[in-house]
Amino acid sequence: MPDPFHILIAEDEVLAAMALEDFLSFKGFRVTVAANGVEALERYASERVHALVTDLRMPRMDGQTLIREIRERDAALPVVVMTGYLTQDSDLTHERWKPLEIFSKPVNPRTICNTLNRMLGLPQEV
Amino acid sequence: MAVGLEEFLDTGGFVPHGVCLLWRPDILMLHVASDVLIGLSYFSIPVALTYFVIRRRDVAFGWMALLFALFIIACGTTHFLSIWTLWTPDYVLEGLVKLVTAFASLATAAALWWLMPRLLALPSPRELEASNRALALEVATRREMEARYSSFFNNLGEALFIVQVLPDGDFAYEAINPALARIGGLDPEQLRDRRVRDAVAPELADLVIPRYTACRDSGETIDYEETLDMPAGQRVFHTMLVPVKDAAGRVIQILGSGRDVTERKRLQEEVVQTSKLATLGTLAAGMAHEMSQPLNVIRLWTENTLTRLHENLLDPARAERALKLVIEQTDRMGKLIDHVRTFGRRDGGGMRAFHPAHCVESAVELVRHQYALEDIEIVEHAGLAQLPVTGRPLELEQVILNLFSNARDAIVARRASGEAAGRIMVAVSDDPDRQSVVIQVTDDGGGIDPSVLPQIFDPFFTTKEVGKGSGLGLSIGYGIIDGMGGRIEARNVELESGSRGVRFTITLPSQPVSSSDREFSHA
Repeated sequence: MPDPFHILIAEDEVLAAMALEDFLSFKGFRVTVAANGVEALERYASERVHALVTDLRMPRMDGQTLIREIRERDAALPVVVMTGYLTQDSDLTHERWKPLEIFSKPVNPRTICNTLNRMLGLPQEV
Repeated sequence: MAVGLEEFLDTGGFVPHGVCLLWRPDILMLHVASDVLIGLSYFSIPVALTYFVIRRRDVAFGWMALLFALFIIACGTTHFLSIWTLWTPDYVLEGLVKLVTAFASLATAAALWWLMPRLLALPSPRELEASNRALALEVATRREMEARYSSFFNNLGEALFIVQVLPDGDFAYEAINPALARIGGLDPEQLRDRRVRDAVAPELADLVIPRYTACRDSGETIDYEETLDMPAGQRVFHTMLVPVKDAAGRVIQILGSGRDVTERKRLQEEVVQTSKLATLGTLAAGMAHEMSQPLNVIRLWTENTLTRLHENLLDPARAERALKLVIEQTDRMGKLIDHVRTFGRRDGGGMRAFHPAHCVESAVELVRHQYALEDIEIVEHAGLAQLPVTGRPLELEQVILNLFSNARDAIVARRASGEAAGRIMVAVSDDPDRQSVVIQVTDDGGGIDPSVLPQIFDPFFTTKEVGKGSGLGLSIGYGIIDGMGGRIEARNVELESGSRGVRFTITLPSQPVSSSDREFSHA
């Protein structure tokens, strides 16, 4: 059995992060949780990460900045954004951030999981 | 040398006076004609005088005129006797009449001199005419004033009324103006001189009599706001009662005026509401985030549980934990919803006693997370704050939220200019000496330009760029704090960290504020 894909979750809401971690682990991913952008960037720097799932509003470093930093290092890393609301002036919908998918909270973990599968080239669950 | 009366009256030895005139008919005629004319004239004068005195009953010193009359009749009689003695030598009689005349003349002359100062003091007709003219002018002026005042009274839109304080201390309406009659659906004629309790509906009497009593007993002008049920619906009046006192200082009358401030109140409330909505608008973004968080947790945990259930991998302990989490999250959402609901409510509820520390806590709770996301820390210094204040808790919370929001904006602007900032300090403490509670909100956002510091509480004054601030926040806040009998001040401070910022200090009195005090502080 190959090593599972490593998903980095950046989410300051501990309970949400825990639930998502639990769900994705249950679905066969290896999951690391970071409470903010700075921590996520540190984790990214220290381990190989196959995809990022991030909140936008976080203390210390927000999701937008985190994505910008990540894109400078890896233009192709799949990114899934979970957000309470997307401000109108956000340019995250722009092509240059792709591969990137945006979901509004509350998110469906199955959708997140399916999206990750698709972005990582894994078979879709039904 | 006693002479008998008979002897005294005996004229046998005298000759008539005509003998002296040698009975010359021309001389006799001259004397007779002159004396007759003089006598008749003299007799007519007292008639005229008496007639004058009788007709002019108001004439001063009328008895003097009668004395003159007596004196002149006596004079006239002496002249007729002069004619008589031409032919009949009744010189004794003539002498006696002259004696009477002498006394009358003496009395008249004496009385005249005695009266002289007072006669001189009598106004002359010219003086009387002048004073009459002045009086007429005065009367005309007063009539004009009265007309002006009565037109004031009758045409002013303000409700005016005069209440009489009866000897037993009760109140009766003396007059009400047409404006009051119109607003109140009252008939001025029916109300006149009727006791207040009998004149108006019992509910209205119960409302106004305590006010009249307060004015009567204090002897001072009082003013207050009252909400009265009028035929045109519920109206809010700003009423002022002015006591009128007699020489002994007893209040005998109360002058009242009532301005219908219903519309003004509504506009004020609307402005407060608008600002509340504006504050709410800035909070809405944060609120969306706050709401999405628990919702997200709920969704994730239920999906987790459902997936495990489908796979037959759900143990009861895990299910229980998930459900408890869900319940906690719904509680969290419920609290948020309550908060938004009460915040948006139009009527902030009545004035009541409350602890301002709760409002501060509540405001901090509302924005702490949102501000933390922007790296703004809210530091609370909870001192000993136990004194209650009077007002509407939600309004105070709105003021504090507005201060937080301004502090946040200052911090963001400070950072944009490359300086470090990000702390909002809030402190609540009692000032037992002054029986007041002090709330301080301090930021490290760089401070306010001292030249604009005096203006910051002015309506529509804003330092923010166009579209960023309405300029109403602080002025509304000022009104709210003022309405609670307190004050709000701002000054620039140097912080221990070396940075600079603004400190807003709200001081609220701890004793209940009366409506009249509040109105005065607004004036």
